[in-house]
Amino acid sequence: MKKLSLVSLLVFLVVMAILPHLLDTRWQTVAVTFLVFSVVALSQDIVLGKAGMFNMGQAMFFGMGAYVTAILNSHFGWPIVATVPVAIVAPVLLGIVLAAPIVHLRGDYLLVVTIGFNIVFVQVLINNLGGVTGGPNGIFGIDPLRLFGFELSSQVAIYYYAFAVLLLTLAIMINLDKSKVGRALHYLREDPLAAESIGINTRLYKIFAFGLGAGIAGLAGSVFATQYSAVSPEAFEFIQSVLFFSIVLVGGSSIPGVLIGVFVMFVLPEIFREFSTWRFFVFGFAMILTMILRPRGIWPATFGKIPKFLIKEPKNGG
Amino acid sequence: MADNELILTDVTKRFGGLTAVDALSMKVSSGQIYGVIGPNGAGKTTVFNCITGIYKSEEGSVRWRGEEIRGMTPYQIVARGIVRTFQTIRLFSQMSVAENIMSGRHIKSSQGWWHGICPTPGSRRDEKENWMKVGELLEFFNLEEFAATPTMSLPYGLQRRVEMARALAVDPTLLILDEPAAGLNDNETAELVDTIFSIRQKGITVLLIEHDMELVMKVTDYLTVLNFGKKIAEGTPEEIQKNPLVIEAYLGSEDEDDE
Repeated sequence: MKKLSLVSLLVFLVVMAILPHLLDTRWQTVAVTFLVFSVVALSQDIVLGKAGMFNMGQAMFFGMGAYVTAILNSHFGWPIVATVPVAIVAPVLLGIVLAAPIVHLRGDYLLVVTIGFNIVFVQVLINNLGGVTGGPNGIFGIDPLRLFGFELSSQVAIYYYAFAVLLLTLAIMINLDKSKVGRALHYLREDPLAAESIGINTRLYKIFAFGLGAGIAGLAGSVFATQYSAVSPEAFEFIQSVLFFSIVLVGGSSIPGVLIGVFVMFVLPEIFREFSTWRFFVFGFAMILTMILRPRGIWPATFGKIPKFLIKEPKNGG
Repeated sequence: MADNELILTDVTKRFGGLTAVDALSMKVSSGQIYGVIGPNGAGKTTVFNCITGIYKSEEGSVRWRGEEIRGMTPYQIVARGIVRTFQTIRLFSQMSVAENIMSGRHIKSSQGWWHGICPTPGSRRDEKENWMKVGELLEFFNLEEFAATPTMSLPYGLQRRVEMARALAVDPTLLILDEPAAGLNDNETAELVDTIFSIRQKGITVLLIEHDMELVMKVTDYLTVLNFGKKIAEGTPEEIQKNPLVIEAYLGSEDEDDE
């Protein structure tokens, strides 16, 4: 099982590394979208899948990263590279500030509060608060990313930029599972009282999950803004949060599960474009069937990631 | 060592109009195996919840090593060396036995939150050391062959052992066991007695609630008997067995309950 996932990860990485050269421009755009949305879905997995918090506002952090890059670039003339750290840090801070008073809420209550946050966020963008968000139309004409004197404006260049961000996110996800904080998130999801009674400050780790998830989503947002060289409020509506939420549930809280989820939700609809409205009809049913037949997701999280030296063969006989 | 004392003074916990624990005072000394007994609903588990920070008692004081711990959160109390098990086993049921025990190493681990994002050689070493410790506990509790098994698929008796191993992983000074023999068969109970004695040999003070009178009389040094939230007696097991109040309140009704 472990070998299988390692091999499939390698195959996935190799395919993704050569992919843009096999596609035309339209499909390259779809591929970049896949990468960016994968990063956001993985960030949602930290909050929802690992820590088990029903966060229905991940699109807000995604949007915040995008708008930070857009505003700093178009209103203040910052180069894109310089906006990236801010596009990470600002959502992290917002995530911590918003999460601190609400993480003690039980699942369904937390869900409603985060929906509220997302709606307020989009309203702020539409109403052009502070005159910097560009209102309902958003912000256009964002510069391309310039790095070491190169201008990364082609879809292929942006693809590799997004791919690098995905690799970074995957590395964080893998490190997290092999660390004290990552396990703490699993423990508090499984049984918060038991976790607290064994010495885990559950509140702190819940806020950590929100902060980390927000930072990664913010980075994805910055890439998203660079890709389209524009941002507008409708890309970060509450319905987007619902999609990210569903991806983690339908895919299952694992890296392959989330990636399959993103593929099913964002890439398949593009492939079946000619069937227009029918595709959503089919996808709705596919989602329902998945949850009935595989309630823990297509590729559920696996536990038992313990060092080899602890695994002993069962003793023979009684 | 002499300072490892848990002293409860006039601890009172009310739920609405019900006084679950009424002005309870007791003193657990270092190295003791201390038992709290009483009929169902006497408030035993509530006392434990007040000690471990799950509830905050309205009145009284809970002092541990001279420090007031009443009002602290459970994780702050664990950090001071007090750790508990639950009457209804509370394991991380989807996770493996080894991962469950590893949760007890949480407060002993030197890793910071940033190591979850970017590991360092130091954090890798810390990770290894803690897993080694988990390995020792798996051996101590004879759970080695189940290291990778999810705890929900284990029989009840083994789950109890995992929960105790998890508590011991914290390296506690005071171990609180809430009905450790509940649901165990005779063999398992006999093993439990051995385990409790060997835990004491490690220098850990044990405080336990138990219904199995035979077990209580065998392992404890000192007992407090509760009824309706009030202490009705305290003393050594021999003294308690002779106490008429206890016989009336608790042991007397035992025959009817036993069937």
